[in-house]
Amino acid sequence: MSPNDKSAEKFERQMNLLAALTDTVQGLRAVDIQERVPGYNPDHESFRRTFERDKKDLLSLGVPIEIVVGATADLTAYRVDRSKYELPDPGLESDELAALHLALEAVTIGSEMGDMARAMWRLGGVVDASGEDAIGVPIGELTELPSDASLVPLFRAVTERRSVTFTYESSNKTSTRSVEPWHLAFKRGRWVLTAFDLERSDQRNFRLDRIRGVVNLHDQGSQIHPAPTTLDEPADPWEFGEDEPVQIVVRFDSDVAPFAKESLGASPSTLGHDGSVTFTVPVTNWPAFRSFVLSFLDHAEILEPLDYRDALIDWLKDISEGHHD
Amino acid sequence: MTELTAAERLDRTLAIVPWVANQPGSTATYEEISERFAIDADDVRDCLIITSMVGVHPYTPDLLINAIIDADSVTIELPEYFRRPLRLTVEQTFALLTSAKALLSVPGADESSALARGLAKVLTTLGEGTENAIDIGVDTASEVIADELRGAIESRRAVSLIYYSYGRDDTGTRTVDPWQIHSEGGHWYLQGWCHTSEAERIFRLDRIRAVGVTDRMAIAPDPLPPFQLFDSSEALGQVSLRLQPSARWVVEYYPHESVDIESDGSLVINIAVGSLAWLERLLLRLGSEAVVVSATNDLATAGRGAARRLLAVYGH
Repeated sequence: MSPNDKSAEKFERQMNLLAALTDTVQGLRAVDIQERVPGYNPDHESFRRTFERDKKDLLSLGVPIEIVVGATADLTAYRVDRSKYELPDPGLESDELAALHLALEAVTIGSEMGDMARAMWRLGGVVDASGEDAIGVPIGELTELPSDASLVPLFRAVTERRSVTFTYESSNKTSTRSVEPWHLAFKRGRWVLTAFDLERSDQRNFRLDRIRGVVNLHDQGSQIHPAPTTLDEPADPWEFGEDEPVQIVVRFDSDVAPFAKESLGASPSTLGHDGSVTFTVPVTNWPAFRSFVLSFLDHAEILEPLDYRDALIDWLKDISEGHHD
Repeated sequence: MTELTAAERLDRTLAIVPWVANQPGSTATYEEISERFAIDADDVRDCLIITSMVGVHPYTPDLLINAIIDADSVTIELPEYFRRPLRLTVEQTFALLTSAKALLSVPGADESSALARGLAKVLTTLGEGTENAIDIGVDTASEVIADELRGAIESRRAVSLIYYSYGRDDTGTRTVDPWQIHSEGGHWYLQGWCHTSEAERIFRLDRIRAVGVTDRMAIAPDPLPPFQLFDSSEALGQVSLRLQPSARWVVEYYPHESVDIESDGSLVINIAVGSLAWLERLLLRLGSEAVVVSATNDLATAGRGAARRLLAVYGH
């Protein structure tokens, strides 16, 4: 960019516009901006077009431009509240800055997140460091997390306490859900939302990969129900059901015991002499839990309740009696 | 250095200006700025020359940006505005929080590390409720096992693993030249050369029971081959399944050779089977939603065989 060309003019005009908007308290009307900010055309139509484009450019960077509505369209004013514009100083040391940059470089969230390093300019630029310095262990490892179109809108809803509406597909049924999002988690390879479901008047978990279409955000602060201080960690498919919870007792033999512990993320209720372990698991989605138990093949056995044990036996009999030929 | 777009130039300048103003003597060289903000040194100079002309009505000296442009450096004093950088956007906050939390979930990551401290400081500047908005659990592979493997990769030693193979439903010992640790889709994996099967293999860290570092030198190709979770060239055979429409997820979930939709809405899918246990699990899970149309080798009876084995456990 040479200081005299078109892009330089635009750069200077937008810097001046932003300075003017952050310096005003009561707001500037379009006519004030046209008069006071250097670089705008005196012709009304041409000013309007350029101003709208500049406003859009600033909004896309995240500049919080507020519109102060006046009695008539001519009186509409624009301003930027400096306290909403300014990033408070986090006081980062250079090793901390370097570590944050490294995290943004080492972790990939899908491919459509854009240039993630952009956050770094605002935090004070990039400083290089080794992985060892950043987290105390070497980072030869790169992490890839799947992305989802609903992630950023739902994150915004959580942090700004907005209620939301979306279309959700669960066990062959598609419905519109109105919820107050509390928490996002990435667990066992999936993004999960924990929220207060307004129709069911209770906490529910939602898998992001089952949300169809766009998430509609309602007003900031529109959540009524406070998030509990400790949330039940959602994760397992059998916790995503609408059924009343049933306590199912399962025994896993020693070969798969460590793996079962890992999957269930809890302590076993009993340990057998042969190295087997027994767990009691609250289940709200029986088909999902049945699939989980079956994935252990003949290393897992449902002990109680008897009607669930019998249901599994019937399921197996159906398969063994040759529905499969 | 790549040419910046107009928006990037503005974004970068709005961060550079307060940074320079906060340096000792409110001065920085173009070289320093260029390195730190990944922008060409001449470009920085041009942007700052223009910035030195920015001000607000009625342009009294206290309302102007005072930028002194020298040959190698710039000194900036600011009026009331532009003293701090712009806040992070929602996307930027999300990316920063998620990546920092993901990296801190690396087995063995230190809670007092620079990243943990940096994240804690950034969180204090964000709105209330942001701190606990996200949890990232890239699975809980054992720290000890990850450390042992890292040590072995570093010192180029082969390792002996006690490994539970999910595909074969079997626990056994393997000797492996460890190449790298990689995380994908929520799990940690070790990629390496398995001497036991004389082939490149991928091991999930949470299925490794124990690691022993041997005296044997490990050989790693340079560069490493791409990390691939599924390789259909190693298939055990083929199976063709007729699926009810309700089992459509199978088509979306597993790589397959072909899929046809029948007139009654059912789907016929051809899948390469990597292991018998894998097919058994799939058929047990699907129950009457799947019928085996044809299969190579002994795969046709996989579901029935597995169901009988399980029924024996239940005393039937």
